[in-house]
Order: sequence, then C-alpha cells, then structure tokens
Amino acid sequence: MHPNETTLNEYADGSLGAAERAGVEQHLAACASCRQLVDDLRDILRATGELEPLDAPVRAWPRLERAIRMEREHATRVTAGPHSGAAVSDPADAGSYRTYATWLAAAAALVLAAVVGMRYTPGRRAEAPAVAPAGATASATAGGAAESIETELRQAEAHYENAIKGLEAIATTERSELDPRTAATLQKNLAVIDQAISESRAAVRSEPASEPAQQSLIEGFKAKIGLLQDTVALINEMRKGNEAGAARIVSGLKQKGN
Amino acid sequence: MTVDLVASIQAGDVDAFEALYRQHSAKIYTLASRMAGSPEDGEDLLQEIFLQAYRKIGSFKGDSALGTWLYRLALNHCLDYVRSRRAKMNKLTDTLDAETSFEPAARRDTPIARMDLERAVERLPEGCREAFVLHDVEGFDHKEVADLLGIAEGTSKSQVFKARLKLRGFLGKR
Amino acid sequence: MRRTASFVMAGLVLAAMPAGAQEGGHRIVLRDLVRTFGPGAYQGRNNGPEQTERFSRKVKIGRDGRFSLSNIAGDIVVTAGSGDEVSIEAVKRTRGDRSELARVQITVDERGGRVDVQTDHEQNRRDRNGRSDHVSVDYTVSVPVSASVDLHSVSGTIKVTGVHGSLRSETISGDVTITDAPKLESAKTVSGDVTLSGITTDGDLTASSLSGNVRAKGLKARGVDVGSVSGDIAVSDATCERLGVKTVSGAVEYAGGIAKGGRYEINAHSGTIRLLLTNPAGFELNANSFSGSIRSELPLTIGGPAAQPGDSPRNRRGPLSNHSMRATYGDGSATVVVRTFSGDIIISKR
Repeated sequence: MHPNETTLNEYADGSLGAAERAGVEQHLAACASCRQLVDDLRDILRATGELEPLDAPVRAWPRLERAIRMEREHATRVTAGPHSGAAVSDPADAGSYRTYATWLAAAAALVLAAVVGMRYTPGRRAEAPAVAPAGATASATAGGAAESIETELRQAEAHYENAIKGLEAIATTERSELDPRTAATLQKNLAVIDQAISESRAAVRSEPASEPAQQSLIEGFKAKIGLLQDTVALINEMRKGNEAGAARIVSGLKQKGN
Repeated sequence: MTVDLVASIQAGDVDAFEALYRQHSAKIYTLASRMAGSPEDGEDLLQEIFLQAYRKIGSFKGDSALGTWLYRLALNHCLDYVRSRRAKMNKLTDTLDAETSFEPAARRDTPIARMDLERAVERLPEGCREAFVLHDVEGFDHKEVADLLGIAEGTSKSQVFKARLKLRGFLGKR
Repeated sequence: MRRTASFVMAGLVLAAMPAGAQEGGHRIVLRDLVRTFGPGAYQGRNNGPEQTERFSRKVKIGRDGRFSLSNIAGDIVVTAGSGDEVSIEAVKRTRGDRSELARVQITVDERGGRVDVQTDHEQNRRDRNGRSDHVSVDYTVSVPVSASVDLHSVSGTIKVTGVHGSLRSETISGDVTITDAPKLESAKTVSGDVTLSGITTDGDLTASSLSGNVRAKGLKARGVDVGSVSGDIAVSDATCERLGVKTVSGAVEYAGGIAKGGRYEINAHSGTIRLLLTNPAGFELNANSFSGSIRSELPLTIGGPAAQPGDSPRNRRGPLSNHSMRATYGDGSATVVVRTFSGDIIISKR
C-alpha cells in the first residue's frame, strides 16, 4: 500500500514527522515507483532552490524614470507654489500657472496609469477550451470560452481606450504647441498605429481564439499609448524648457541692465 | 550608506532612485513575474511597485533593511494583484484547476534546466502557483503562506504539493 | 481615426491663433521652438546673406566631470579630447537680420565639476505674425574622454564620437549618430535616424526613433532596447543578453548572437523580422504571426523541452504551423520570442 502523495511530498521536503518517516523509508526500500517520485520531487526542490533572479527588461527603467520625473515635478510645483521658481513674476500668470499645475497632475496620473499596460495574457485564456470539466461537451465549452475571450478582450480594449482618451484630451488642451513638423510626424505615426490596430481588431473578430491576433491588438494599444505618452512628455519638456528659458532670459536681461 | 540613499531619494534625486532600482529590480521583477504567472504582468507590477516605493519612501524608518522594506512592499502588491485577479477570474480558475489528465510524457532523466523550470512555473495554474512560489521559492512556511494568501494552512500544503506534482509532469519526469 | 486627427489639429490650430487671443499679452512669452522650416512659415526676411556670430568658452571640469547641452535649432558635434577641460565653440547663424543673433542667449553654468549650456531664444514681444527668430546655433564641443554627457536638441542633428563617460543624446527632429561610446545610455529622436557604431557597454542601452530608422553596428551591451514606429531596425554584429525590439510598420534585422540564458523579444506588425544568428547558444523559440509565414534554416526541435505532446492544448493544435512555431534549438536555455501580425519571420544562421 503506497503512501499517499501528501506523505511522499512531506517526506521529500523533510517535513514529515519522525513517527511516520520510518514507515515511509521501509516502503521506499521496496517500491521503485515511489522512490522515483521522491527523487523527482527532490530534484525539483533542488532546482527550485537554485533559481536565480531574472533581469527586468531594459525598457522598464526609462518608463519608470519618466513617470517619476513627471510626478516629482508636479509635487515640486504644488508645494512650491506659483510665485517661486520659474519666470512667473506677474500675478496675471498665477492663473495660468494653476492651470498648468492641474494639467501636469492629470498628465502625470495618466502617464503613470498607462505605464502599466493592460494585464491581459491571451495565451491563458486560449487554454480554457481544452480543459473542459467532465461532462461538458467540447463545442459548448469552446463556445463559452470563445465568448469569455471576447469579453476579456473587450474589457482590455475599454481599459486601453480610456487611457488613450485621457492622454489625447491632455495633448489637445495643452497650451504650448508643438512645431508643425513634429506635430505632423506624430500624426503620421499615430495613423500608422491606428491602421495596425484596425487590422488586428479585424483579425480578432474573424478568429477570436488566435493568440497572434490578440497579441497584435494588445501590442497596437501599447504602441498607441506609448506614442501619446511620448507626446505628452514632449509637451511637458518644452513647457518646462519655456519657463526655465524665460527665467534665464529675464536674468540675462537684468544683467545686461535692461 | 542606506541613510544617504534614502535621504537622497526623499530629496528627489532620481539618480539615487535609479541606484535603488538597479540593486533590487531583478529580485522584485522575478517575484512579480512568478507570482503573476507571466513576465509581461511581472513587468507591469514591477513598475507599479517601484512607483509606490518612490511615493512611500518617506515612510521608511530604517528599522529594517531597505531591501527588506522594498520586498515587503512588493510582496503585498503582488498579493493584492493575485487576490483581485482571482476574484475576477473565478470561473476560469475553477476550470483550469480541474484535474486534467495528461498523457504520460516520455520520461527524461536529464537534469532540470533553469529556464525549463521557470517556464514550467509560469504554466502552473493560479492558486497552486502562488503557494508554490511563496513556499518553495521564497521560503515562507505553510503558516506564513496561509496568512499571506488568506487560506488555511492545510490548503497551502495541498496547493504546494499539487504544484510540485504538476511541475514533475511538465518537466517530463512522470 | 477622427479623434486622433483632432488632437493634433488642435495643436496646429493653437499655433496659428492670432496674438490677441493668447493670454497674458504683455508679459514675456517665450516660444522656444523655432518654427522656421515648415511650409507656410514666415517667408521674406529670411533669405538674406547668412549672418554669423561666434561664441567660445573653455571650462575646466576634471576628467569625470559632467557636461550638458541644450539647444533649440542647430547641429551639435561632441568629440572626446585629451585633458580635463570642455571646449565650447558655437556659431549663431541667421539669414534674417543681424540683430536677431543677439536675441539668442547662450548660458554657460559652471558648478563644481559640471558645465550646463543652455540656448535660449528671446522674443520680447509677440510679433504680429507670431513668428519667432530664424537663428540656429551650431555647437562643436570637445570634452574630456571620461566626462558624462547629456545632449538635448529640438531641431538639429547630434553627432558624438569617443565619449567614454555616460552619454544621453536626444533630439526631436534630426539624426543622432554615436560612435565609440561605451557608456551610451540613450539615443533618441522623433523624426530622424539613429546610427550607433562601435558601442561596447556593460550596462543597458535604449535607442529609438519614431519615424526614422535605428541602426546599430558593432554593439555589445547587457541589455538593449530599440524601437521605432514606422522606421526599420537593423542591429548587426551584436552581442547582448537581453534584447527588446519593437516597430509597427518597419522591418527588423538582428544579426548577432544569442547568449546562454538570455531573453530576446522582437515585435513588428507588418514588417519582416529577420534573425541571422552567429554561434547562438541554445534557445527556446516562440514565433508567431497572424498571417505572415515563419521560416527557419536552423535545425530546430519542434516543441520546447517542457512542452510534451498532449499536455498543452496549444501543442495539441500542432506546434508547427504556418503561423506559429514553438521549437527548441540546442539546450533551449535562452528565450527568443518573435511576433508579427502580417510580416514574415525568417531565422537563419550567419
């Protein structure tokens, strides 16, 4: 009579009580398959103990850094108030400063929220159909699973689109304009991404269970968010540069005795 | 050294924060990826965790090592994620956890390669994966795992054991 | 998408708004972008003979000093020289009125081992036509070999050679060309090409262009992240442990090695992805495409070592199809993930 899997597991990892150990050892001396199981479990435990950390992807730090810089800048401005720091010496500027601070808060929040893409792992959903509970017919399960994939995907799309809408709104209401050539480049590339998204969407509609289709749609959303984030960050940098530049000009003018 | 680093980060020094990131990102990323079950999710969690660390660095009191403080923050974040995802995904989880009959794979007696094990851990169904990661990889005991995951100690044991047996199947050791 | 078009159009509309409609008409309003180049930009006074003004400064910063330069319009060339000083030569240029040159201010801020150079364009009253000056400033800088360098430009090229300290170079519209920079951290442009050669670093490096190409030749780094939206990516003679490549409509070519236990992820939407591998370590390949084809000239074992026929539903559908391949080369220690939507995937040995 073989010890159950729980007991063998406890034996393998050394957590089995002394009282039971002798009995198990006696069994193992005579049973090759249980011995094999214990050896395998120990192999796994040993390999697990030797697992090492994996390096994070290179792009993780630059994205994080940008989010932090925007957050820091917002915090600095909020605590410092409108009359310290940059060139804003005219009370009439306080209003626009506050607008900017609000804008920056919203921008930072969206950059941060969208820094994290949608947590949607298509592959896992695709596995569901094959692991049917006993008694369910294959087609019913497959149909059900395809539906839930569609639901998950729609939720993912909605999440991405909210982030996209938010970023677009910010870019639209932002005062400081980008030069026409850069704006045109950004627009052209947004169109490239939108084209890709629309192709992927059509593919997902025609083959909901296709992992490449789902994956490409998610990548498209990520690319779009990335581009909008870059745009927002660019606007922010130019804005910052404007103010700092204004400060330098003003102090330079003062030095010249203007 | 830590005091200086924390003070610098609190003062807004992004380079200092980068130093903290470089020191701990691998460990945190790995924990997050394994808990979440995919490197993509792990990457997202990594960013959230470090953002949170940046915001909360002011509350670090120095009563533990900075790495420990960061690890606890990361672990809590991963657990929150796992719990909220499980709440959303309950139906599918039940399906995935159902006993599946694998055709016995051809036995392979080669030593377990690191990447094979990593990939096999990724494939573990939710529920048993988190318990396995916390107990066998991170080294918490069953009582601690039970507390962290909000399950009974007995459940922690059965989940960890189930995970090991599934890994055995994935790794061709059946 | 209408929504997309409108956000950019709004930006353009704002740019064209008459002066009176802008807030704060009396204060100093700076637009630090030189809108000289687009069609419809002010024409006329811009076509005279070129006027120039030189600027020259030398600053001692020590071998490990830090140098940063921020420019608006104009080219930046930085080379490493011997010694411990930074030598800055700048030429202001305009085809407009000579007086405009004086309105461009170059500020050199020296502070304990660091030098920060800023270029500011002054405009002390809003011009009726909303135009700004037409001045560009070209910089030629020599820095100590180990100095760390940080360059920013809006419209102009950046060229850096031989800088061995940490290096970041970013511009918005212009090419970025970096040679022999072992500690390159980031090279970015929005519309322009990025060209890297002879980069050997033991850290991570990021290179991106939005609409231009990114080419890196002779690259050795721990982690590499390269991206474009509509441009092509070509990485050759490369050795790295982690690679992330992403483009949407561009093509990708990676000619280099696969390190043991490394992770390589390449993503394109419609472009072709070509891997030409030199003495690759073993890797597990996960290649898929929605409608593109996948071809490998390397001897691959279908199915990963951890994926046995029958225990993964995905494999049950067939691990090798036209559009999806899960295979192992050698010991499968590294991970190679290649994904496209409609582009082809071609893997071969160099």
